[in-house]
Amino acid sequence: MLVAPPLNRETSAGLAFASPWLLGLLVLFAWPFAISLYWSFCHFDLINPPEPAGWANYQRIGRELWAGQGFGLALINTAYTILISVPLSILLGLVLATWLSYDLPGRGLFRAIIFLPSMVPVVAASVLWLWLLNPSDGWLNAALEWCGLPAQNWLTQSRSALSPESVQRLVSEPLANWKLAGSKDALVLMTLWGVGNYVVIYLAAMGDIPRSLYEAAALDGAGAWRRWCHVTLPMLSPVILFQLVVGIIRGVQTFTNVYLLSEGTGQPAGSLLTLSLQLFLAAFEDLQVGYASAIAWCLFVILAAATWALFRTSSAWVHYRTHT
Amino acid sequence: MRNPRWLLPALVATCVLFAAPLSLMLLGSVKSGEELARNPHGLFPENWAWSNYLEVFTSLPLGTYLRNTLLLCLGCVSGSLLSCSLVAYSLARIPWQGSRWLFGTVLLTLLLPWQVTMIPRFVLISELGLYDSLWAIILPCFLGDAFYIFLLRQFFLSLPQSLLDAGRLDGLSHWGLFWRIVVPLSYPALTAVGLFQFIETWNNFGGPLLYLSDPAKFPLASGLERFVSSYGDQTHLFLAAATIFTLPAFLLFFLAQRHFLGTASSGGIKG
Repeated sequence: MLVAPPLNRETSAGLAFASPWLLGLLVLFAWPFAISLYWSFCHFDLINPPEPAGWANYQRIGRELWAGQGFGLALINTAYTILISVPLSILLGLVLATWLSYDLPGRGLFRAIIFLPSMVPVVAASVLWLWLLNPSDGWLNAALEWCGLPAQNWLTQSRSALSPESVQRLVSEPLANWKLAGSKDALVLMTLWGVGNYVVIYLAAMGDIPRSLYEAAALDGAGAWRRWCHVTLPMLSPVILFQLVVGIIRGVQTFTNVYLLSEGTGQPAGSLLTLSLQLFLAAFEDLQVGYASAIAWCLFVILAAATWALFRTSSAWVHYRTHT
Repeated sequence: MRNPRWLLPALVATCVLFAAPLSLMLLGSVKSGEELARNPHGLFPENWAWSNYLEVFTSLPLGTYLRNTLLLCLGCVSGSLLSCSLVAYSLARIPWQGSRWLFGTVLLTLLLPWQVTMIPRFVLISELGLYDSLWAIILPCFLGDAFYIFLLRQFFLSLPQSLLDAGRLDGLSHWGLFWRIVVPLSYPALTAVGLFQFIETWNNFGGPLLYLSDPAKFPLASGLERFVSSYGDQTHLFLAAATIFTLPAFLLFFLAQRHFLGTASSGGIKG
C-alpha cells in the first residue's frame, strides 16, 4: 500500500479508539436515517413487511396541511408555541440577566431562585404544573382572581383561532369574561419558568464584555439604557443567535411536557397536538409508521431550513467581536 | 453608577413568582389529602402531614422504581464515560486521516432531530429482543453521545502535548497514554460528563415510555407519570413523590452551585 507504516499504525489506533462511535454512527444514525426515508414512501404497521406506497404519505400530509387537521394542526400548534415561547424566553432571559448583573445585596440568592426551576426534572415540573393549572381549584387561577383578572381555562379548552367573529365576541364581552389563555399558553408559561438556563448563559457572556466599552460609552454621555442598547445588546448578539437556534430546535423536539400535560393525547381538542406528539401517536398508537416517518422527514427539512435561514440572515444583526 | 431604585423591588417580585411553584409543591406535599381538598389555597398546612412521605413509599412501589432508575443511571453513566472518552481521544489526540471527517459526523448528528431516528431505533431494539429490558436504554450509551464526545474532545485538546510526548518517549502506546495520562488529567471534564449523563438518565421519560411496558421495570419518571394518571386525586401523595423525584437535582445544584452559577464571584457589569 501507499500509506507509510507509522501512519498506518496511527490510523488503526484511531479507528480502534473511535470504534464505539463508528458503530453508533452506523447503527443509530446512518441506517435509521436512510430506512426512515424509505419507510416514508411505504405503508408499514410494524408487523407486516413495509409495502411501497409512492408519495401517498406525503400527499396525505399535503391534504392535512391544507385542511388544518392532523399534520396541519400539529404544525400550527408547534409554530404557535415556538413563536411565542422563544422570543419571550430570550427577552425575559435578557431582562433577568441584566437585573442580576447589578451589584445587589443577596445577589447569589436571587440567582439561585431564578436558576433552580430549570433544574427540576421535566416529569416533576409537568406534574407540578398540572396541579397549579387545574382550572377549578388550581393556584394559578386563584392568583389571577385575587388580582382581579378572569380565571383561564388552562388545559381544558383550546383557544379558538383568531377570526373576525372571535375578535368581535372578545370586544363585546366585559373584560372579566375574557378567556384568552389555553393549553398552549400553559406550555409557554412552563417554558418561561425554566428560563434560568438562558439567564446563566447571558450572565456569563455579560461578564466577558470589556468594561472599557461601558466607560467609553459613559464618557460619550450615554445613559444606562443607551449603554444597554448599544454595548450590551450587540455584544450579546452571538449568544442570542445561539439561544434562538437552540430554542427553536428544542421547541420542535419538546415531547415530555406536552405528553404529560395532555395525558398522552394532545387533547383538549387537539390543542396540544404538537409535531412530536402527533408523530409518536401516529407511529405507536395508530401503527402508521410510513406516515409517521414522512412527518419526521418534513419536520427535519423544516428545522434544517429554519436553522439555515437564521444563520444566513444572522450576519445582518449578529456582531462578532474581532478583537478584545 | 448606582443601582436604579426600582431594581430591588422588581427583582424580589420576580423571584417570588419564580419561587412560588416549588414552594407550593413543598408546602402541598406536607398537607393531608383532606386539607388539600377542603382548603386548596391555604398557604401553610394546618397540620404538618409528614406521613405523606411514608405513605408514598407504601402506596406505590417507589423502591422498585428507584432501583430501576439507579440501574439505568449506573449503566448509562459508565457507558457514556467509557465510549465518549475513547472516541474523544481518537478525535483529539491520534493524528489519523479520517478523524476530521469523523468529527464532522459528530457535529452533524447533533443537528438531527430524534424524531427521525426514533422509529428505526425502536424496530432495531425490538429485533434484538431488548424490548421491555433496561438494556434498551443502556446499550446505546455504550456507542457514544455526540455532545459528550464534543465536550471531551475540546478538553483533551487543551492538555499539554509535552506530557503525551514524554509518555511516548517512555514507550507508552495510545492505550497507555489514554489510561495513564489523559484520563487522570481529565477528572474535571469526566465528572461533568458523568453528572450530565446522570441527570439526563434520571429525568429521561421518552426512552422508558418507548421501550418499557412492564411496570416492574419502570424508572421513577415513568412511575410518577403512571401514578398521576391513575391516582390523580391523591394530590398530597403525588406532590410528595414529585418532591422526592426532584431532590437529587436540588442536592446537585447546592453541591455544585459555584459551577452552575460560575459568574457569581466575577463582577458582572454595572450600569
